[in-house]
Amino acid sequence: MEDLNIQPPKGANRLLAFFCKTEYLEDIQGDLEEEYILKHAKGPLKALLWYYWQVIRLFRPGLTKSSKINHLIPTNGSMFKNHLIVALRNLWKYKAGTVINVIGLSTGICAFILIALFIKDELSYDKHHVHADNIYRLTVKNFNQDGEVNRHWAFASAGHAQRLKADYPEITHAARFYAWAFPDIQVGDKVFPSEQVVFADDDVFDIFSFRFILGNAESAFKEIKSIALTEQSAIRLFGNDWRNQDILGKTVQIIRDGMKASFVVSAVMEDMPQNQHFHFEYLAPMEFLVPVFGESMNNVTGNYNWLTYLRLQDGTDPRRIEEYKDDFFDKYVGLFENGIPAKKAYDFELQPLLSIHLNSHLEGEIESNGSLQQVYIFGTIGVLLLVVACINYMNLATSHFSRRTKEVGVRKAIGAQKSSLVQQFLTESLMVNLLSFPVAILLTWLALPYLNDFMGKQLTLNVLENGELLLGLVLLLILVAIISGSYPALFLSRINLIQALKGEAAINSNKWNFRSWLITFQYAVTIGLLFTLAVIEGQMKFIQNSDPGYRKDQILHLSMTRNIRNLDVFKNELLSHPAIHKGTYASRVPTGRLADSWDSGFFKDETAVQTTFRLPFILADEDFLETFEIELVAGKNFTSAMEMSTDSVGYYLVNRAAAKALGFDNPEDIVGRKLSYGQYNDHIYRAGRILGVTEDFHFESLHSEITPMVILKGDWNMRTICMQISPGDLQSALTHVEEIWTKFDPLNSPQYQFMDDLFDQQYQAEERLSSMIKVFTVIAVLIGCLGLIGMVGFIIETRYKEIGIRKVLGASIFSIISMIGQRFLLLIGIGCLVALPVSYFFISGWLNGFVYHINIGLLLVILPAVATLVLTLLTISYQTLKASLINPVECLKDE
Amino acid sequence: MKDFQLGEFEEIVLLTVAILFGDAYGVTLKAEIESRLNRKVSIGALQSALRRMEQKGYLNSEFGEATAMRGGKRKRFFTVTDLGKKALALSRETRNQLWDAIPDMAFKIA
Repeated sequence: MEDLNIQPPKGANRLLAFFCKTEYLEDIQGDLEEEYILKHAKGPLKALLWYYWQVIRLFRPGLTKSSKINHLIPTNGSMFKNHLIVALRNLWKYKAGTVINVIGLSTGICAFILIALFIKDELSYDKHHVHADNIYRLTVKNFNQDGEVNRHWAFASAGHAQRLKADYPEITHAARFYAWAFPDIQVGDKVFPSEQVVFADDDVFDIFSFRFILGNAESAFKEIKSIALTEQSAIRLFGNDWRNQDILGKTVQIIRDGMKASFVVSAVMEDMPQNQHFHFEYLAPMEFLVPVFGESMNNVTGNYNWLTYLRLQDGTDPRRIEEYKDDFFDKYVGLFENGIPAKKAYDFELQPLLSIHLNSHLEGEIESNGSLQQVYIFGTIGVLLLVVACINYMNLATSHFSRRTKEVGVRKAIGAQKSSLVQQFLTESLMVNLLSFPVAILLTWLALPYLNDFMGKQLTLNVLENGELLLGLVLLLILVAIISGSYPALFLSRINLIQALKGEAAINSNKWNFRSWLITFQYAVTIGLLFTLAVIEGQMKFIQNSDPGYRKDQILHLSMTRNIRNLDVFKNELLSHPAIHKGTYASRVPTGRLADSWDSGFFKDETAVQTTFRLPFILADEDFLETFEIELVAGKNFTSAMEMSTDSVGYYLVNRAAAKALGFDNPEDIVGRKLSYGQYNDHIYRAGRILGVTEDFHFESLHSEITPMVILKGDWNMRTICMQISPGDLQSALTHVEEIWTKFDPLNSPQYQFMDDLFDQQYQAEERLSSMIKVFTVIAVLIGCLGLIGMVGFIIETRYKEIGIRKVLGASIFSIISMIGQRFLLLIGIGCLVALPVSYFFISGWLNGFVYHINIGLLLVILPAVATLVLTLLTISYQTLKASLINPVECLKDE
Repeated sequence: MKDFQLGEFEEIVLLTVAILFGDAYGVTLKAEIESRLNRKVSIGALQSALRRMEQKGYLNSEFGEATAMRGGKRKRFFTVTDLGKKALALSRETRNQLWDAIPDMAFKIA
């Protein structure tokens, strides 16, 4: 009896339904099922296999649906097949040519895909926030007395956000982020030193779209002492299995400067996406800080450390908010003590969220942003490389196909239409493309991890999950096939029938034709890239060789923790090692940023006049100058006896730039003058003396000008200790440092770096750009050389007889070589004329990003041209030499 | 004449359809051929032969009643058309003629 519960395999049925004619499907399937059930009784597995096998064998012409593919094939279907066969045959016959073509195309395509992925990521920053279009960052500008922009901070003062929001209804939400130094976090008895806890206003969750794993936007800041974690910080604090620990409601201690506060974990967010311009791991409510800062929370000038974001009502023009600024400063500040109205000195600007990553390079950016310029440079290079690869293919294919003029002639003679010939050659191009694409994707896949590593990205080439990407690749394939295939196809189909059949050279290689322009273009790209590379390398070399004004070699930079209390003892113990000579504590060290800045006033006579320029400070001890070997041009250094915090006088060192900015061109004259600097909690510095003047040194990178700065003698907030170490005993010195460290702070491991590494890190972006350009240049040169090999071979082939005759008539080897080579000289010349101005335009923009940069000299201009020439000669030398050494008999014997 | 030509498998299928008069559909046809001729028949081969001959006009087909069996799918019953009968007859006649033409001496089954 038939068992109704037995179900035939669904997959097989689906397959059958897919190909079987619908009018036959029902009864055939019925037949299959009937037998299946019978067989099932004997052996289910066997029946299953049988079923599939039968379905597969039903795939026969009479039973399948009429295929739609049939309509895709051109009407002359039989010719298409012929084209396919001929194409395959030729690809196989000219294996070397095929390989060259595939290498050229696939590297070009690979470079393009990589760049496209990179750019797509760069352009995607911050777009995931639902209100992205209405979010703006409040940035503050400071003008000098002449009304020029003096400073432009990515930050605002503490009071801006709340006051603006209260005064202007267009601002619906306002939130500040404040990274309150780097407190230690304690969970149970484990201490995590220097975690970046960021305090934020409640509005932050209405402005940004953070995604929550546990808790939600409403509950996150319900309590004043609550803290929202991200997945990463949750893992750090609670271990990998935090999800099983029910961590909501658990307590963590935040410890700073001996203060301890218990915070309750209120939410866990997803990690902030990589394509966001800031990444915080801990968020805590701003309210907690109100008692700490008190009145200064309302300031609208000074202390530019408050990252401020505004969300405007839909459709509000941010310029309108900016127009309020004069009223705003009048209302809250009015006149400064020195009689200057605040509105003359300050201004704010609303920066669209979406433009921050690529366009904003203000003072104090939270993370190093991308650059639009880099996107342009890479984008241009990507397109150029793709075009160069296509051009290369065009050139090679044209010269390749021209061996087949007879074939074209015969086809034409027996009635092939032009369109049929075009189709034929397009088919061949498509075949090469179809071969190149998988290779390109494989190359991309192999290169991607390196690119990611290098650019600090997380790009993926997951074609299966990313439909957009797949579509893009298919479009790219079609585009490349059409661009690269069209010219050879059109060109060959136009050949004159008689000429073709006679076997005459279809292309006079001597003539200046479209192909010469193609080669010129290739040269232009290569030369442009070489020039760009030369300039970048030149600048990097300049940076490496430039004297920053301080010693950067053999200096160990050790980050301090708050557990180390007795600074003097710690330092002395470190210095007890024979290889460690000098050591200095400092709040910040060169290669960092001059971020801390307080208000200051300079005493011209007996009254202090507020300084109008920014005068940042660092704290250091008396050994700072000596350790970094910074020259003192006037006055004296600190002495160890000077106590800043207790001494009402105070001691300052300023740099030469500061002396100049204060109106003393001769540094000697400023020594001994009075300066009042800053006001910070219990550290009140009033009317100190300028003790000495240091030579200018590049505290910040060469991108920015040497700014006026002041060095305070201090013994608090010393974040680092730097030591000079003699080169020989490095290893034992390091061991010594670690030993001493463990004695003083057993909880943390020492974090040390070398100054020269820190120095190099300042130019990481440039270093990356340089390496990327290097890779692209190599690709361009590789493609270009491949093209040249093909091109020269072709020229020689078409002028084979000419070479023979010239030799018979007594031409020297050199004259033959120059006959072939001079052509390229001309092309290189034109390439230079095109490439150099264009790339000069690009690269001078890049160079201007450095205040201190090289000038583009004649050498840099000549170098790429010469390099190209040498490369060309090397590439063509083998074939050319072979041609020039030819025995004329060989090429003239048969007609 | 040429139009009436049948392939070997086609002929077998056509004959079997005739044998199973009224009950000729996929499964029975297959079983019948397999048991009578002792050879394996794939559904694909059988079905394509059936459809081909239907197109040529040797066979007619119609759906039977739907039953609860075979997932409610109807059977397609085949019958031999007049043209099919003619083709069979012709095929048989040709063979006979050929058989008859063989001289006795040349063909002796051992």
